[in-house]
Amino acid sequence: MGENSKSVLIIGAGIAGIQAALDLGDMGIKVYLIEKNPCIGGRMSQLDKTFPTLDCSICILAPKLSECYRHPNITLYTLSEVQKVEGKIGNFTVEVLKHARYVKEDACTNCGDCAAICPVRGVKNYFDADLKTQAAIFIPFPAAVPPVYMIDKDACVNLNYGICGLCAQNCGAEAIDLTQKDSVLTIDNVSAIIVATGLDLDENIAPLSHYGYGIYQNVVTAMEFERLICASGPQAGHLKRISDGVDPKKIAFLQCIDSRTQRAQKYCSAICCMYTTKEAMVAFEHNDELESYVFYIDMRAGGKGFQNFLGRGKDEYNIKYIKSKIAKVNVDENESPIIVYEDLDSGEIKQMTVDIVVLATCIIPTLGLDKLANILDIELNEYRYVKTDPFFPVETSKEGIFTCGCAREPMDIPRSVAEASGAAARAAEVIRGG
Amino acid sequence: MSVINFDFRNEVLSHNASLSYCYQCATCSGACPVALATAGKYNPRKIIELSILGLQDKLIEGVDVSVWLCSTCQTCVELCPQKVELTEIFTLIKNRSFEEGKIPEGFQLQGQSIVDNGVAIPYSKAIESRREKLGLPKVKTASVDEIKTILKETNFEKNILKVGK
Amino acid sequence: MAYDVFLGCVIPARLPYLEASARKVFTRLGIQLNDVEGFSCCPDPTGIEQIDHKTWLALGSRNLSLSKNQNGEIISFCSGCVETLKGVNYYVNKDSEALKEVNTILSKVGKKYDGKTKVKHFAEVLYENLDKVRDNVTRPLYGFKVAVHYGCHYLRPSEIIDWDDPFEPNTIDEIVKALGAESVDYEMKMECCGNPVEKTDKDLSLLLIENKLKSIQNAGANCVVVVCPACYQQFEFNQRELNKKNNTNYDIPIFYLSELSALAFGFKPDDIGLKFHRVRPNALFENTGFIKES
Repeated sequence: MGENSKSVLIIGAGIAGIQAALDLGDMGIKVYLIEKNPCIGGRMSQLDKTFPTLDCSICILAPKLSECYRHPNITLYTLSEVQKVEGKIGNFTVEVLKHARYVKEDACTNCGDCAAICPVRGVKNYFDADLKTQAAIFIPFPAAVPPVYMIDKDACVNLNYGICGLCAQNCGAEAIDLTQKDSVLTIDNVSAIIVATGLDLDENIAPLSHYGYGIYQNVVTAMEFERLICASGPQAGHLKRISDGVDPKKIAFLQCIDSRTQRAQKYCSAICCMYTTKEAMVAFEHNDELESYVFYIDMRAGGKGFQNFLGRGKDEYNIKYIKSKIAKVNVDENESPIIVYEDLDSGEIKQMTVDIVVLATCIIPTLGLDKLANILDIELNEYRYVKTDPFFPVETSKEGIFTCGCAREPMDIPRSVAEASGAAARAAEVIRGG
Repeated sequence: MSVINFDFRNEVLSHNASLSYCYQCATCSGACPVALATAGKYNPRKIIELSILGLQDKLIEGVDVSVWLCSTCQTCVELCPQKVELTEIFTLIKNRSFEEGKIPEGFQLQGQSIVDNGVAIPYSKAIESRREKLGLPKVKTASVDEIKTILKETNFEKNILKVGK
Repeated sequence: MAYDVFLGCVIPARLPYLEASARKVFTRLGIQLNDVEGFSCCPDPTGIEQIDHKTWLALGSRNLSLSKNQNGEIISFCSGCVETLKGVNYYVNKDSEALKEVNTILSKVGKKYDGKTKVKHFAEVLYENLDKVRDNVTRPLYGFKVAVHYGCHYLRPSEIIDWDDPFEPNTIDEIVKALGAESVDYEMKMECCGNPVEKTDKDLSLLLIENKLKSIQNAGANCVVVVCPACYQQFEFNQRELNKKNNTNYDIPIFYLSELSALAFGFKPDDIGLKFHRVRPNALFENTGFIKES
């Protein structure tokens, strides 16, 4: 068998998986990119800006998304999951379960006529951190790749009760296929696999009711806040309190929510100090009367330009950093969150009423990584991330399977990209020889 | 002048190793109801800080902080991200104070009553007749001598007499 | 079902009417309470344990060693006693050296403890028999807007108490609802009553209870339920003290959970010595139509 028939399979099409795919594709290596969500881009596509440069996140990402989509060497499978792997380095056989989209990818023109006529409303949009609702047929966000609609099979009245079908009648491109079924694809001759499954967040596994999350409307997670300040988000970038639509004047950012604790995740979530600063900066850009208070245990700014970034936050963006971990959140009669904290400079116990509380919740391994690790026969570490060795940071416990990005530990975008290129290089070695 | 007492620090650590896990995040002080009510005059974080530093005098004499203001509500213990067993550590400090005869009067009175009566609150005549009227049985509590024997064995009786001397 | 009843100090020797209501409630539920001779003070986890842990362990173990119940189960009407007895069990079972030391001391009085006696709070037993409680309600407490005060030692430290959630409990709320009353949420629900700091700083203790009473009043509750005699005294006795000191006029009746249960089970206020309360519930009874003015 020639080199051209050999391929690399990448699981996860976030920024890490995309970078690895582009590197390999550009080397002339055939890539299968498997993504469980309806579109690619992962967490980065949900962000407004990136730190520490405050670049527009989607502006950096979008070219990579379309390049990935159009690349002659990259085959993309969305709504897909790896369900079985056999073989060994140089020759894996991978079985992929492709969930039905009910919309033909090669026919849909992304016109939106289907969603306009769909009678179902109020379906939560995961991409907007459940803050926006949509029809049962939807596209996660306007610039999604692939630019194809899909049907939420739990919400669709046709798929559940056999009625309606308006979307199919209304689709000029005849792209709707309500009879589509899940299918299984078998991919042979996979030389190497890259696990780039990324992250989930603590709010997906913990109630956080202690902080009033899920009880008080003005207590949001950092991911939700990210969507609220995003120009393409549910408030179109005009930050307002969820409870009453009032412009906030004072925001408290609480760090280390379920991170660095013996009671939840024992590790540092690595990126919160910086993204919190970024979120406070972006919020300030919307409203320059805004005061932000960041309550932290230790300020971790270990990256190029990070310390400077914090300095700019203090000097130019009215951010005040207070060393004190917050234990709980109450609200007053206006639904304004109240926090109690010790001012460590004076030893005084103080109360602060704010308009919004933002919880920097801990990064956790993507839900379902345990199951995937079983399928791949790779080991996880004590924190349930993919286990790697400090001197072989992209190698899993199984030969021929590599990893990068938040699948192995919490990290920021630049590091994920660097690791992705590392994993791509190691995977290429399997095909080309080391 | 503050004198660092390594023996004290080591004693606390050997009794409760969780002291060394504290990273001074101030969860305890921010959550403590007494700290809030006293605007920080009572501060569990500071007590832990002083314990780590081995500043025994400050803790026993209660110069900057009074460990005796702890309400033992255990909120800090439940919330501490490092699972530092704060109230256990405070108990140790208060136990040491007791050995030195330095405890607040309210604690001494309760202790003395147990030495004298075997119980913290003895039964008055009025209460006994009220119990009878309410149809309650007569309570036979422990023999005072038996309790005294135990209190001698643990030095409790001796230490109670030391208080205020 | 039978338990050895551990009365402790405060309830039998100062607030016997609380004991009367509890005994009546358990008799009605068909749960037998055996009296045991020779118990001492538990001793107080906010007092004696704080000054002498070893004495606390020894006296607590001695009390636990006296249970001759077949099931080896003790019930107490007091959260402080329950914390002590559960706490002593926790320490002697965690550390065999501690148990050995305790038994060396107990050997001087001819006693020995094996660490096996189980302990339950009376509210724990009521909750476990919630259906029975519901079946025995003959006069539902309609109109009673109850502010539930759990109290610290009923819940925490959760590792020792091992019952209900340390910050979001529901057991007593459920019992109160089973009695036909409404449980009113209030901001300071989980805060400490302030009783333990009374030994050191009376004013501080009054401040803590005032904060709670204020919050309870603001929430529109018309009474409070407690399950610990220290909390009870703090709420009732110090409510009046507070009024004197600060010229306030708090007038919120404080009930023991056993009293509320007894009332709902049809016992008359006089049967359970409600007249000994310092804050009289008469207005509440009239306003809710529970008892017409006589």
